[in-house]
Amino acid sequence: MACTHDHSCEDHDCSSNWSLYKHIDLSKVTALNEANPGSVKSVFKAWEERLNSSGEHLESNEGDPELLVYIPFTSDVKIKSISVVGGADGTSPSKLRVFINRDGIDFSDAQSMQPVQEWDLVENLQGVLEYQTRYSKFQSVANITLHFPESFAGDTTQIHYIGFKGEATQLKRDVVATIVYEITPNPSDHKTRAETGGGLSHVE
Amino acid sequence: MVLEATMICIDNSEWMRNGDYAPSRFQAQADAVNLICGAKTQSNPENTVGVLTMAGKGVRVLVTPTSDLGKILACMHGLEIGGEMNLAAGIQVAQLALKHRQNKKQQQRIIVFAGSPVMHDKKALEVIGKKLKKNSVALDIVNFGEDDEGKTEKLEALLAAVNNNDTSHIVHVPAGPNALSDVLISTPIFTGDGEGGSGFAASAAAAAAGGVSGFEFGVDPNLDPELALALRVSMEEERARQEAAAKKAAEEASEQDATMTEHASEGPSGADNKKNEIPDDDNTLLQQALAMSVDEPASTQDLQDTEMSDAAAEDPDLALALQLSVQESTKDSSSEADMSKLLADQSFVSSILASLPGVDPNDPSVKEMLASMQNQSESQQKQDEDKAPEKKEEKEEKEEK
Repeated sequence: MACTHDHSCEDHDCSSNWSLYKHIDLSKVTALNEANPGSVKSVFKAWEERLNSSGEHLESNEGDPELLVYIPFTSDVKIKSISVVGGADGTSPSKLRVFINRDGIDFSDAQSMQPVQEWDLVENLQGVLEYQTRYSKFQSVANITLHFPESFAGDTTQIHYIGFKGEATQLKRDVVATIVYEITPNPSDHKTRAETGGGLSHVE
Repeated sequence: MVLEATMICIDNSEWMRNGDYAPSRFQAQADAVNLICGAKTQSNPENTVGVLTMAGKGVRVLVTPTSDLGKILACMHGLEIGGEMNLAAGIQVAQLALKHRQNKKQQQRIIVFAGSPVMHDKKALEVIGKKLKKNSVALDIVNFGEDDEGKTEKLEALLAAVNNNDTSHIVHVPAGPNALSDVLISTPIFTGDGEGGSGFAASAAAAAAGGVSGFEFGVDPNLDPELALALRVSMEEERARQEAAAKKAAEEASEQDATMTEHASEGPSGADNKKNEIPDDDNTLLQQALAMSVDEPASTQDLQDTEMSDAAAEDPDLALALQLSVQESTKDSSSEADMSKLLADQSFVSSILASLPGVDPNDPSVKEMLASMQNQSESQQKQDEDKAPEKKEEKEEKEEK
């Protein structure tokens, strides 16, 4: 499960593996129970910057460690593994439950539904741990919802980085947006063969 | 133009029979609900609004969030008053209704009309508030009707628990001559978090401010928007010009008052800026001028004191008119109209002004002030009511002389 780095990262360029963040539709990323609205977008960055905690990070509201993060992708992706860097002093999340291709999940849904996969997390302050997925279930992911029900200390949860490893397909799972249903037919839309000039060969 | 799904929680408890809001609390509430629904659906065509009642036999959802305004208005008919409001259950059912909205992209909002006393304790309300905040549901509270101890406190605590980045609001509407819907129009509940409001809200606000139940200036903004806009703009400019002129006239009327001259000297130079100034500023100046002219005991102008009483003795018409105005200012209903009628009488006003030192009635700025007095007599009247008992004393003193 762990990506054991007994060599230094610069050699084999881990960052290219963790490039799925480029396919995240950042404008549509939302989180529930975050203390600062919009701070969730700051946790999706390049692998090299995962330990860079100078900017914003995602924090849950005081006294409530639950967090729900909804992440849509710009195209369908296949996710091999997930990495989460939490905060220090027990503010790291201790569990992760994941839902695929469902939007509009809120806390009561997340608590009652069966997740696609769940993990018990470990404090990962150096960002060297990754959690592998059951790849067959993560084949065409248009959006993913991460539910962190609790943290180690129990008071709040802090997340500095969320990374996805995998590959992006170019396919988009799109909802059919514009369809016009006819209630009554419009004759001008239905040209007969005689009008279009086709038809049976004429009889001599 | 926020995409929003709204649930409106109506209070149809027994307390809504009370008539302290015209025509009755329940009717005022219904009008406000209709206006809100219209505003929401107009600001974004994909917005949905739903309605539920909190009292009666129990919390009942009348219509689930829909963008069909007709359905919402129809369900407001035939609502019965009775029972007690259950605020907590109402909010929770509203949250559930919003959870099952069809378009998950819509933001969730609950608007609660809290007219009757709140039975739940603060802790319970705070827990509900936190749950709403956690699920990112915004809450607007309209606090009207009953005002027992603790109700305002509880509602404020609920708002504090829900409020996330100022998306939730509370409005306290005391009983009074203003309709509930008129008061709400200017609040963020209508204007939607300071985005400037939809055209519906703006035109409704304009109609309310104009004091006309129909359209401002008698011109339908829908039929002729350019004309209505031009009329509105010219009215604003005229008002600004008159305020500046009134300031100048007030300066002339009281040369010894240092503060006033300071204000007035700013007036002519910054006439355009003063347009946006609080009208109270101007009204206090005007009121000070009038107070001085009517022999206000608080002022230190002894010289003008004697002059005025002489003038009053010499001019029985003036004394009578002043007495009339003082008497009628203690009555609420007709005071405005009478005072404005008095002031509108040019000869009467110019005779007052003639008795004031340093004021030439033929001065064009004074003439402008006369015209502006009509507009401002309303707000000035409110302040005059405080002065009225003192004025009355003064009048009685003079009559004894």
